[in-house]
Amino acid sequence: MTFFTRFWGTRGSIPTPGHSTRRYGGNTSCVEIRIDGALFICDGGTGMRELGDALLRRGDEPVDAHLLFSHTHWDHIQGFPFFVPAYRPTTTLRVYDVARDDDRAHRLLMGQMRSEYFPVSFSDLGSRIVPSNLEGGHTTIEGVTVRALEQVHPGRSFAYSFTKGASKVVYATDSELDRIVSNRDDIVARPASLRRLPSTLVDFASGADLLIADAQYNDDDYRDGWGHARAHTVVDLALQAGTKQLALFHHDPTQTDADVEAKVERATARARAAGSALIVFGAREGVELKIG
Amino acid sequence: MSTGGPRGPYRDGLVTEATKMVERGIGSRFEAARKPFLLLQVEGPGAPREVKLDLPEMVVGRSLQAHLAIESSLISRQHFALRRQGPDYVCVDLDSVNGLYLNGLRVHSAVLRDGDVLQIGDVVLLYREGDA
Repeated sequence: MTFFTRFWGTRGSIPTPGHSTRRYGGNTSCVEIRIDGALFICDGGTGMRELGDALLRRGDEPVDAHLLFSHTHWDHIQGFPFFVPAYRPTTTLRVYDVARDDDRAHRLLMGQMRSEYFPVSFSDLGSRIVPSNLEGGHTTIEGVTVRALEQVHPGRSFAYSFTKGASKVVYATDSELDRIVSNRDDIVARPASLRRLPSTLVDFASGADLLIADAQYNDDDYRDGWGHARAHTVVDLALQAGTKQLALFHHDPTQTDADVEAKVERATARARAAGSALIVFGAREGVELKIG
Repeated sequence: MSTGGPRGPYRDGLVTEATKMVERGIGSRFEAARKPFLLLQVEGPGAPREVKLDLPEMVVGRSLQAHLAIESSLISRQHFALRRQGPDYVCVDLDSVNGLYLNGLRVHSAVLRDGDVLQIGDVVLLYREGDA
């Protein structure tokens, strides 16, 4: 079995090109997961443009991809109109919603290509775009078990897990974990204490080889109600779920490369202080990991 | 008033003059002044040494045929490749036994940035970005 994860966009909220973000990248959320012959694309932020170019450069045609969106805020769909394979008649894109009767992702991808926003209409894309669903949140796609879990985010969002054999990756961005910590008062009063997260979430991430998680904020710059997590809270989720690696994802647009590195350093120190060997790193554009 | 760049015969004259400069070799002197892409071996057998990255693909490994050949039992014969991709170099693990580490993280591949540290076995390499 081959199982790869590659980061194409790791920035939160808005693209941040420039010298100060060059190492971790300025493109918004897009992650490619390839498991044997199956291609999953998590979110269509601006990183999706370069993913499309790479698929064509690699000669991976015809492109047949499964698109799963954490949610449909701008920074997660904006790259789709620039995804060149979408213009190829040989391409098939399956756009998933979680519930059987939901078509929000498909509808909003169409909506952002109305003539007021973009010169090419959705109906003029040459590819076959198929609205699909995860049958309520748990299904098998090309031999891969895919699960979804609703998260806390304005307008709601979903985490996804991808499991094949003994290998598992969890993609969980745009989730304000701090709002569902059961000992929430301790976060400020006793920041070093373990932040306890709901068992449904811990079970969802349990044993993952890689947890890609929204870690937009540090403890001291957290913005309550904005829909994103403190990096330390995400570390505590990884510790409780027993994941092997944690990718801090959805970097705040104000964070420079040095800021992201400092965030990773503090998060790693928290894991070590808990006696864990958890591998913590900052999700970085252009990095590809072999899973399992 | 025009705010654009030089146009018409004036621009054509500049182009002709630039062409003559290149023919006289001034262009090649500019080329020589470009900062090269480098891989510096800072630890491990054979260190310190540096390799100029000037090919579309270069291999690092134990094999004597590797562009950077390193005599270490901890690295594979063809351990990883550096591939030019547009303005960047990308490191790619060639199914090595002991893996390729980028700033301490095991990776399959990665677009490199100036100052990145690569580790393979007991060998530590520093990537220096040149002028694309």
